[in-house]
Amino acid sequence: MEHRIDAWLILAVVGILGASLVTQNAVTEVVGTQLLARQLLWACGGMLTLLALSRVRLDLYARLAPLVYIGGLAALVAVLFFGEIRSGTRGWFAVGPLTLQPSEFARVATILMVAAWLGRRSGGGLSAKEAAVVVALVGATAGLVALEPDLGVTLTYLPVAVTALWLGGLPRWAWIGLILLAMIIGFGAWHTVLKDFQKERVLTVLDPERDPYGHGYQVRQSKIAVGSGGVAGQGVGHGSQSLLRYLPAQHTDFAFAVWAEATGFVGATGLLLGYALMLYRIGMAAAVAENRHGLVLAILVGSWLAFQVVINLGMVLGLLPTTGITLPLFSYGGSSLLSTCAALGVVQSVWRHRLVNQ
Amino acid sequence: MEIREDLRPIRQRSMVLLLAVFLVFGALHLRIAQLQLLEGSHWRRMAENNRLRRLPLAAVRGRIYDRRGHVLADNLPTWNLLLFPDEARNLGETVLFVASLGVSEASDLHRRVNQRGIDRLAPMVVGENLDWEQVTRIRAHQSDHPELSVVAGFRREYPLGPATAHAVGHLRLVSQEDIDLDPQLDPNSRVGAIGIEALAEDFLSGRPGERWVVVSAVGRQLGVVRESSSSSGKDLAVTLDAELQQIAAEALGERSGAVAAIDPRNGAVRVLYSAPSFDPGLFSGKLSPEDWKRLAEDPRHPLQDRCLQGTYPPGSTIKPFLALAALAEGVVSPDWTVQCTGGVVLYGHRFRCWRRWGHGMVDLSRSLEASCDVYYYQLGQRLGIDRMALWLEIFGLGRRTGIGLPSEAAGLVGNPEWSRRVRGTPWYPGEAVSVSIGQGPVLTTAIQLARAFAVLANGGRLVTPHVVVDPDNPSPVDLALNTNDLAKINRGLELVVHGEHGTARSLARLPVAGKTGTAQVVRLTEGIDSDDLAPHLQHHAWFVGWAPIDDPRLVIALVVEHGGGGGSIAAPTAAAIFSAALDEARESQASQGPGE
Repeated sequence: MEHRIDAWLILAVVGILGASLVTQNAVTEVVGTQLLARQLLWACGGMLTLLALSRVRLDLYARLAPLVYIGGLAALVAVLFFGEIRSGTRGWFAVGPLTLQPSEFARVATILMVAAWLGRRSGGGLSAKEAAVVVALVGATAGLVALEPDLGVTLTYLPVAVTALWLGGLPRWAWIGLILLAMIIGFGAWHTVLKDFQKERVLTVLDPERDPYGHGYQVRQSKIAVGSGGVAGQGVGHGSQSLLRYLPAQHTDFAFAVWAEATGFVGATGLLLGYALMLYRIGMAAAVAENRHGLVLAILVGSWLAFQVVINLGMVLGLLPTTGITLPLFSYGGSSLLSTCAALGVVQSVWRHRLVNQ
Repeated sequence: MEIREDLRPIRQRSMVLLLAVFLVFGALHLRIAQLQLLEGSHWRRMAENNRLRRLPLAAVRGRIYDRRGHVLADNLPTWNLLLFPDEARNLGETVLFVASLGVSEASDLHRRVNQRGIDRLAPMVVGENLDWEQVTRIRAHQSDHPELSVVAGFRREYPLGPATAHAVGHLRLVSQEDIDLDPQLDPNSRVGAIGIEALAEDFLSGRPGERWVVVSAVGRQLGVVRESSSSSGKDLAVTLDAELQQIAAEALGERSGAVAAIDPRNGAVRVLYSAPSFDPGLFSGKLSPEDWKRLAEDPRHPLQDRCLQGTYPPGSTIKPFLALAALAEGVVSPDWTVQCTGGVVLYGHRFRCWRRWGHGMVDLSRSLEASCDVYYYQLGQRLGIDRMALWLEIFGLGRRTGIGLPSEAAGLVGNPEWSRRVRGTPWYPGEAVSVSIGQGPVLTTAIQLARAFAVLANGGRLVTPHVVVDPDNPSPVDLALNTNDLAKINRGLELVVHGEHGTARSLARLPVAGKTGTAQVVRLTEGIDSDDLAPHLQHHAWFVGWAPIDDPRLVIALVVEHGGGGGSIAAPTAAAIFSAALDEARESQASQGPGE
């Protein structure tokens, strides 16, 4: 028997999308393009995708996963050769008037593949070999995205790998080893790979007044925008001058700051609750899943979305360095919106098929 | 049968994750509360003290030099006044303050403030070329008017002023069409409007930069957010000769007319001077409506470039080319003679020679020396209008020279086909008679005649006049003229200056060959631009010639509007320029002497 879609999750998604559209409309004049109409189209497309994918039988996601995954790899390779370049990143296909970003969709494919693979095995912790397979599956797609190079999106593949290992189960010594390894890599990168502007972004978090008009400018403007929202906000479209003009990337990375300034603590809390509700319902879908595949699928999607929300808000609120990670369902961008809705549709399939095995 | 797997460990791990996420969410919420509830007023104060400005960084325009390194266009440092309209507390009061400084008019400012575009971070230039007193007054009121800012800029300066106004050109404010084509353009910037400034715009202009700064509520600069520096335009050396330009300007004096001079060997333009001229520096700043009105409504049309846009009947300067055509077509022989009795009847109408009592027996060289009209009436009859038109176009008359400067006029060589197509009337045979002495439906520019005479001077090659030396310039075209014919024509043109009966004997002290011309001011027919209709109907006077005779380095085409006779007015005017050019030629020969 089949069960109905999760109304709470739909409520959360629609609420977030609504707030996003209000924000996009408010910054249209500043950014200079008609953001609202495009984002509205993407939102409708996203909702349809969500509903359509929720009707697909869960076991099909396991069976089709290799195919989808190989398709994702192929798209990532193709974009390296035929893609359009935007600010130094070769990561977009032009499809008529639209552009598609394969790195967003390949992440969903990776999640499907990893979940299918983990769902097939049963019991016990992961062996070293199995852990290596998980890392290789995520590493292949993430590595191709890193070649574009799109470091922000590459970073969002990280929670997929870590969560898969966590759910699969690794011995404690392995985690300690991984953490030590990460610290060594981080230390090494600081002295070799990281460019000066990237180091400055990290240092700015530790010392916000370090370079308030240079490297610290974006974060400072973001904090001014959020902070001047106060309790009830300045009203949509009435954000102070600092918001309307001085905040960079206000329809994408810093869209939350626009919302927080316009609607204040009330609106910011509401939006945060929307994300909490969404993640909670994803957790519920995982909790009621009757097989390993469904559970892993839901948790992987949830951990990816939670990661993006936390990293983005951390950046907007001046707690984390600027990384170029967007706020899911809220930042402007069709591919991100569509792929997020697709992932939520898959989670809904888990929810709807929760009692299939009984 | 499927064994129900134990999902408990994995469920536990999931719950740990969910818990961790909610803990982090709680931390984020605390941070939001900190920023918005605890520190809200602090950040709101910061917002007010946090104005971002986009300051344009002007690209220094390239200088223009003449062939000897004299500066034709330069940049002078100057003070400009910027207004950031959206920072003003009371825009009306600001406008009054600016107007009270005398840098701009209140009504004009109001209009511009109301029309400003959506790019509101960009400032408006509300004052240019401020004097020191204005700067100090603004500085004194800076805290009342943080929206005003005095910045350093550059102003285009033309050291030779009117002497090079048309050739070097001047600037203009970018238009809305320019901005539509290139949205990056700063609406306050200037681009070349005419002349070399327009021709070499891309080369000269450079790329402007911008600097984003944060300023406090009183307009004090707190810090630079980012900056893209401007890159200067490149300096340009042109073929013009500044000294000859000035001498041409002096020689024409108060008369209207044009001087075009080129090097016949390669087409390098040495002089392009059009009189009356104007001060091109007027366009470097804000052009006042009075100045514009004065220039635009002057009945002598100082803005018109008579070298390239002024089309005049060539008069007798056309004769050497028709003679060459007749020899080449074989319709006359070199020793063909005509008896001139002061006129001839053709098509039932008597066409007169300019010399009432006639020239007597006239041969080819005498026909040029004394400029006998009857000889050319007859010669024209033998050639026919179609062949005349064909050959005139071969010599580049009645078509653009390709000099590359904007708005060059084509002129006209009429023929029966043109008459039907453009004029809509049949061709009258009598018109061909007029064309054979350079009257009627034949119009040329000074630069066209200079180019055509360069063919005679350089042994038969048609050069393309140019002001900038560029490997892409078209190379000269050999017209494959018979050298014996050419030598005969040139001998006749030498006699024009040095012969007993020459019409340009006032030049006899100089090694010049050339031709005078006197163009009747005719009523212009339809299909031709007629803004040239003269208030008085004196003739236009031409002299076109080259020097030195045996090693030509300079061809000058000079026209004096309503100047009377070519021999009496144009030739003596040309003399001053020729003698200066020959002096210089000697100088440069001396400097290139034994040392090399």
